[in-house]
Amino acid sequence: MGEITELDRDELLADALEPGNDPTVSGWRGRVARSEAWRSVFRHPHLDTPRGRALQSFSNVFLHVYPVKVPARVLRLRYSWRLGYIATVLFTILLATGVYLMFFYTPSTTAAYGDMQQLRTGVGFGQLVRNVHRWSAHLMVLVVLLHLARVFFAGAYKRPRQFNWVLGLALLATTLGFSFTGYLLPWDQLSYWAVTVGTNLVNYVPIAGTTIRDLLIGGDQINQTTLLRFYVLHVAVLPGALGLFLMVHIWRVRKDGFAVRRGGVGAFAEGLTDEAATAMILPPGDPADDDETAATPGRVRLLGVVDRESVTAEERLVDDTVFAWPHLLVRHAVVALGTCALVLALGVSFAAPLRDLANPELTPEPAKAPWYFVGLQELLSHFDPLVAGIFVPAAAFLGFLLLPYVDRNPATEAKHRKVAIVVFVGLIVIAVVLTVIGLLFRGPGWQWTPPWTHLYFEL
Amino acid sequence: MTTRRNLLRSGWKVGGALLVAAAGWTSWEALRPLAGSGTGGKIPLGSPDQVPVGTAQYYGEGRLWLANADGQFFALSQRCPHLGCGVPFCESSGRFECPCHGSVFDIGGEWISGPSPRGMDRYTLTVEEGILVADTADLVNGPDPGADQFLTPPSGPSCAEGA
Repeated sequence: MGEITELDRDELLADALEPGNDPTVSGWRGRVARSEAWRSVFRHPHLDTPRGRALQSFSNVFLHVYPVKVPARVLRLRYSWRLGYIATVLFTILLATGVYLMFFYTPSTTAAYGDMQQLRTGVGFGQLVRNVHRWSAHLMVLVVLLHLARVFFAGAYKRPRQFNWVLGLALLATTLGFSFTGYLLPWDQLSYWAVTVGTNLVNYVPIAGTTIRDLLIGGDQINQTTLLRFYVLHVAVLPGALGLFLMVHIWRVRKDGFAVRRGGVGAFAEGLTDEAATAMILPPGDPADDDETAATPGRVRLLGVVDRESVTAEERLVDDTVFAWPHLLVRHAVVALGTCALVLALGVSFAAPLRDLANPELTPEPAKAPWYFVGLQELLSHFDPLVAGIFVPAAAFLGFLLLPYVDRNPATEAKHRKVAIVVFVGLIVIAVVLTVIGLLFRGPGWQWTPPWTHLYFEL
Repeated sequence: MTTRRNLLRSGWKVGGALLVAAAGWTSWEALRPLAGSGTGGKIPLGSPDQVPVGTAQYYGEGRLWLANADGQFFALSQRCPHLGCGVPFCESSGRFECPCHGSVFDIGGEWISGPSPRGMDRYTLTVEEGILVADTADLVNGPDPGADQFLTPPSGPSCAEGA
């Protein structure tokens, strides 16, 4: 990779350190910036030229997650609604608040509930941190689902991004695992019975169902073993899994390039002629060269991941790109602050529920699974458990998993993919209706209870 | 053709597969639920005549109901076969009514209505020296829907209605 050689770097460094070249590096700040210690930490000086900025991105572990330059359209909120980014921010908030909560929590059936009460009454801002953790968790499930829908409607799962869609589903499953294992930890009536109902769904898997359920909860009912298992999954196994998946997911976003909605061939291509566009994309040997038209979304090569010739060629062709720092990062900072403000506002306004101590002998009425499983529970009350509990969810998950490989239609505009969109919207409507009925319209004995008579709804 | 190079080439893959198998086996051994890790054991329930015909009595240590169905006794697990909620006995209707999803069972634990796939599960019940003993390590699946040996009309209003 010949983007910037060691020689260039030395030259740039020497330039930047020349007093007078950069007004921000004069006086005492200049002396600090030129000191050996400073330069051992920050490998590059601040240099306000395109090459200097590129160098800054390359040599910074945090900035290098971003491309140096991004297509200007990526800056628009409507491009992605920043949903993937918001999910990442929520995950970061959950990590921070989660670590804080771990200081005050013992995963034991005799201590856990008391710890929750102590957190509420005896720990400074304990209740607030727990509220923020809980609302962030619910929001994260929601945002991940919205992100999935957004990616579907943009057709962004199509080649070459099929595998990133699969990774996204793995992230969704991990997120649900997080939310579900975390649900049990307070060890109150709400957690105990929601998790009882949720884990018993697994029973309906043919042949291995009971074994899987028993392995998950470490016995045939929820007890101390279950609590410890869920705790370890929640604080160690799942964070590791999610971190790994997320890393690869983001890396693939970089490598596969940004998705395009309209009929160009890549993020740089809008407004290009077909010849120019074909000239600038696709590495040699890519099958898209011969078997598809220029109206297919292609692969975008960003500065820094291709050799110098094609970088300059791209820049000559179109220059609709802008530097990720500051243009994109500032927008990301605003979205991150907005997300923090939202969960903080929710945490201040609404307390996370804490019901009575878990009592295995007394089932509260009604016992509902967490909201993202309530649709499934509603389905189970109508159909044979094998159909509703296993066949439908398995078919839905497999369908989503195989979607990018089954849906070979390269078009990303809605008018050219009516079938896919109708099926997807149909599924969403069914899922939302079932969830709303289960969440709002079901009372004791799963009887029809409209929310205006009595609302049995807990988060 | 088998050469030393080929042998070594596949050798490390076999080694890797063995390692994965070993990891799977040890994890399974460590994490698999042990038999009888639930309540387990035999629980004495007392003499039969303390439970009148058509009623049921709750035993917390076994999480079970001792039901007298027409003179025949059943130790019914309180766990609903549907999704594991605790099923209480409704005195007014003389039936078991699940608060979660509305499954209803008769006094013998037989399925009457609701989403449960079968009747309430039963522990083996024996009589030792005039005392009923439930073996909570031995759970038998409840009868399939359709059994109506002990089905009688409800003795009164259901507990779920008007709740």
